[in-house]
Amino acid sequence: MSAFNRLRQSWGGTDHELCVLSASGQLGFGIPQASFVRGLKRKPHVIAADMGSVDPGPVYLGSGKIAAPETLVRSDLRLVLRAALALDVPLLIGSAGTAGANAHLDRVLDILREIAREDALSFQLGVLRSEVPKGDVGAALARGRLRPIGALDLDADGLSQTGAIVGQAGMEPFRRALEGGADVIVAGRACDTAPFAVVPAMLGYPIGPAIHMSKILECTSLCCDPGGRDAMLATLQGDGFILESMNPARAATPVSVAAHALYEQDDPFVIHEPEGAVHLDAAQYVAVDDRRVKVTGARWKPAKQPSVKIEGSRRLGARAVLLAGVADPGFIAASADILRDVENVVRGLLAQQDWTLHARRYGIDGVTDWADMPDPLPREVFLLCECVAPDADTAKLVLAALRQQLLHFGFEGRRATGGNLAFPITPAELDAGDAYAFSVYHILEIDSWDALSTLFPVSIETIGDHT
Amino acid sequence: MDPLKDVARIIRSKNAGPTKLTLDVLFDDEAGFRRGVAALDASEVARAFGRDIGAVTVTAYLPAFALKIVMDRPQVAGAPGDRDIYGAQQHGPLLDVMV
Repeated sequence: MSAFNRLRQSWGGTDHELCVLSASGQLGFGIPQASFVRGLKRKPHVIAADMGSVDPGPVYLGSGKIAAPETLVRSDLRLVLRAALALDVPLLIGSAGTAGANAHLDRVLDILREIAREDALSFQLGVLRSEVPKGDVGAALARGRLRPIGALDLDADGLSQTGAIVGQAGMEPFRRALEGGADVIVAGRACDTAPFAVVPAMLGYPIGPAIHMSKILECTSLCCDPGGRDAMLATLQGDGFILESMNPARAATPVSVAAHALYEQDDPFVIHEPEGAVHLDAAQYVAVDDRRVKVTGARWKPAKQPSVKIEGSRRLGARAVLLAGVADPGFIAASADILRDVENVVRGLLAQQDWTLHARRYGIDGVTDWADMPDPLPREVFLLCECVAPDADTAKLVLAALRQQLLHFGFEGRRATGGNLAFPITPAELDAGDAYAFSVYHILEIDSWDALSTLFPVSIETIGDHT
Repeated sequence: MDPLKDVARIIRSKNAGPTKLTLDVLFDDEAGFRRGVAALDASEVARAFGRDIGAVTVTAYLPAFALKIVMDRPQVAGAPGDRDIYGAQQHGPLLDVMV
């Protein structure tokens, strides 16, 4: 019998305390061990972790690469897997390998199987896949069933250039994997909340608080004061839950936890999920003691029709960067005009090539669009010029031409005629790999609850000599 | 009137997905929060960032003594020309807004 089925059979009802341990909000970047071990001593009924995000940019989804270093992915996976099997509790991992497409998921599964073999571990592995067939997305686009989130235009052409498209799985496919006997679930792209919320929901705890808990818990101790990455424990009971960091130095306070409802959300009052939405306008945060908070009041409203957030990335070409410093006050003052004029010169020289150029002036506006220039101007400015072209040689060719024109460009009032740039290294033009851009970040309207199920296939695999 | 950086405890920015930027301003108490609510409306934020007022929304969130600002990102995160893929360093223009 699976860990979940044993839990469900013995469960006495929602007036009992159900403990969910959040091991990591970014599995693969190192789990602080002492706090995690403290969490295990509390005998959690579920261990869950999130492993992915769109935050690191479109390159990971586009290329199939994992943002986390493989050594840490392996040690984190080993830690949570051995812990869950030793306690005989379900382990759920969402958004495998950063972007959660099949390439990422399959690599994480390979590592997991290697660990199981090396450590002679046996369990039922539930695999949840999240790639959405491009044909489905195209059909939805044609039928007006695709809504962009923010300013992102998608047409049939952009879709055909897009690589793997992933959907954020909600609780439903996790539920299927648990019903199918999985002890351990590794999911492709998933809502951050789903791996944390599904076991409480299946045991009958109200969905609103279960998802609200998950939204806070998925970042581990980030909701504390001071915030951190230590394991976090949530204890559900009745219609609320209590949060506690497994690092005694971190305190969950009513304000620190309430503030987390804002984090990375565009609306502090609503959490959108494929199957409905959680409304937080009546949420209450009350101190239990100086480092624990009880939360109540989240309300779940099921959707009339399901919808899924989908993500896609397309390759634009190869990227190269030029690195150079500047310390001449005249150049710094005129740098916007100089960069524009020099780009025009290079456009004249390399007109037959297809490329884009973006210059950043660190010290002036390399990070933010300021409404005005700094006053006084900085003493030194760092220039990072980015070129994207069909291939790496062209990108570097453009930057080499730019560099030489910039180095010797004669601007009004120039005094430093030895050269306008200070190179920290040569060659100053560096390959920066392939360039990608998000082409899909949309809400896909799903026609029926059955269609939602077919979107996220689940399979169960026996690992080791499971009996 | 004081600069926001002397009144608010936390002033932070982050992506809310790759197309939107969200800035949170957290105050220590309700008095600070009320000052923030009075001074930081959409037009003041739009002016600080050089954006159209229609591109900015400001939501007050009393349980955390917080203001949430949301705007479209100038570039989709990670596209060529983007300067802050996580959006974590876009709070600068807010620091000296007078409240």
